[in-house]
Amino acid sequence: MILFFLTSGLFLGWSLGANDASNVFGSAVGSKMVTFRRAAIIASIAVILGAVIQGSGASQTLGKLGAINAIGGSFTLALAAAITVYVMTKFSLPVSTTQAIVGAIIGWNIFTGNSTDSNTLSKIVTTWISGPILGALFAVLLYILIIRIKRTTKMHLITFESYIRAGLIVVGAFGAYSLGANNIANVMGVFVPALNLEPLDLGLFSLSSSQQLFLFGGFAIAAGIITYSKKVMETIGGNIVELSSEGAMVVVLAQSLVLFMFSSSGFSNLLIKIGLPPIPMVPVSSSQVIVGCVMGIGLYKGARNINFKLLGEIAIGWIATPVLSGLLAYFSLFFVKNIFSIDVGHKINVISQTTDIVAVTAGENVSGIVKYLLFGIIIAGALMIIYYLLLERKKNMDLRQSEEKFWKNIK
Amino acid sequence: MAVFTRTTKNLIIDIDQFLDNVELGLLVFREGIKSYLDKDMEAFVRHLQKVEILEGNADKLQRSIENSMITHSILPQHREEVVKLMDELDEIIDSVKSSLNEIYTEMPEIPSSLNKDLISLAETSANAAEELIPAARAYFKAPYTVREKLLKVYYFESETDKISLNIKKHIFQDMKEIDLAHKAHLRYIIHHIESISDLAQKAADLLSGMAIKIVM
Repeated sequence: MILFFLTSGLFLGWSLGANDASNVFGSAVGSKMVTFRRAAIIASIAVILGAVIQGSGASQTLGKLGAINAIGGSFTLALAAAITVYVMTKFSLPVSTTQAIVGAIIGWNIFTGNSTDSNTLSKIVTTWISGPILGALFAVLLYILIIRIKRTTKMHLITFESYIRAGLIVVGAFGAYSLGANNIANVMGVFVPALNLEPLDLGLFSLSSSQQLFLFGGFAIAAGIITYSKKVMETIGGNIVELSSEGAMVVVLAQSLVLFMFSSSGFSNLLIKIGLPPIPMVPVSSSQVIVGCVMGIGLYKGARNINFKLLGEIAIGWIATPVLSGLLAYFSLFFVKNIFSIDVGHKINVISQTTDIVAVTAGENVSGIVKYLLFGIIIAGALMIIYYLLLERKKNMDLRQSEEKFWKNIK
Repeated sequence: MAVFTRTTKNLIIDIDQFLDNVELGLLVFREGIKSYLDKDMEAFVRHLQKVEILEGNADKLQRSIENSMITHSILPQHREEVVKLMDELDEIIDSVKSSLNEIYTEMPEIPSSLNKDLISLAETSANAAEELIPAARAYFKAPYTVREKLLKVYYFESETDKISLNIKKHIFQDMKEIDLAHKAHLRYIIHHIESISDLAQKAADLLSGMAIKIVM
């Protein structure tokens, strides 16, 4: 049953992988600089690593907004957010998983009679606006830097492009890592307070309950990338490639930096140490940050045709998505609680807030299933990578043979 | 990564060699025309053979460049234009070869009074194409300097037109001693020499657009 409850989060993760992977590898794949298979493998591994290693920061902030204290509630919220994302995407409206999940959590707070922490909420909403602005700023600075380097070194265009190609892979991997670290909170954040899995000892290291959840979420995002992101990358990626290749790389790097900043506790601590205000660890929308980055470069290059319609749609999305998701979550919770008699959560005692959360503790058999499931997925992933490498090798051999044959015939 | 770097280096070398071949072809063309006008047929044949080798090399290099760019997906955004530019440059060396071949096959009788003008025509026409080569090289290393380099191509092309027009006028209006068939034949040869600068202008137009696109 516990595993069933996780499915809505996994579905949300899948849709995130399918849509948002294009933000990190879309430009590289859309311009055919990197093959989709290679991009999918790199992005999948990086997204899982980001989720497991650095996913807790943004997730804790969502926990502060609303500590979902029943797994039925977590299931319903993730489902409501996923449906909102699906419906809005269907109607071609700009949508962010982050905003959907925040709306759903507020819906849960209202339903269960919990108050919403306005401080945390304002922190989150501020980053929705500051994220794209920071992205634009980073993009302009990086763009100036890269153009200066290009001009002063007078590098051959083909050499420069080869560096850009390598850069797109490295930056794409960093982007996928940051996406996993920052956006895993949207996928699994609502399950963290509600579900307590036994620590999983993997020999070299062990995974805590939240890390196991993030690992599952990471797998779901990876599945979304592998199964459904190709089309999105090839179409949406093409729009980004209208920039030059160095512009595309800068956009991905700037977006990755923003996502990384909003999910790195180390960076936040560093700012505190040097006397600056800390960066809140909040999930931000990668799609909206990337729009900010592209517009930043556009403004720097003196483009006058800024797409105000797109900006307006994003601003509407900031309000419409959480409202829709919140309403859907509220009615879904009502439905699940009263029709299926499933516990969706209750009011948290403000005085003893932390002790009042009753997380479902999974039994040993569930932990055993989780363990085998994880091993199974890891082995399947490894086999897929080996298969891919063999396929690439065969392709290269065929290509070499055909080249040799061609030149032999020419002679 | 090593394979990737090797491909990139080889491609850069191929492009440079291709441009060297076109440049050398233009030099040999000038010498070929001069030796024909000097009635030094031995030197002319030597130059013709040299041009044929250079044109063959350029063809091979062009195919190799195109092949590498497509199979290794190099410069995906600019590939089509770079391939087209190589094509235009190849047409120049093709035209050089065919001009010398036409002269060799048809052996036009050129009145000695036209020698100086024809040398000047061949020089200017070849200059237009020659000035294209540094601009094409600059496209890969300093694209923002391409357009200023191309100015010389346009200048020499218009000079070629003027010289060609003057020679044609001179042939058809002043040279009463040669018959119409001879005049038409000379016009045909002039047209051939002139076409090199026209092709250079066509390539310059393409290169100019490419440079704007890459700098923007």
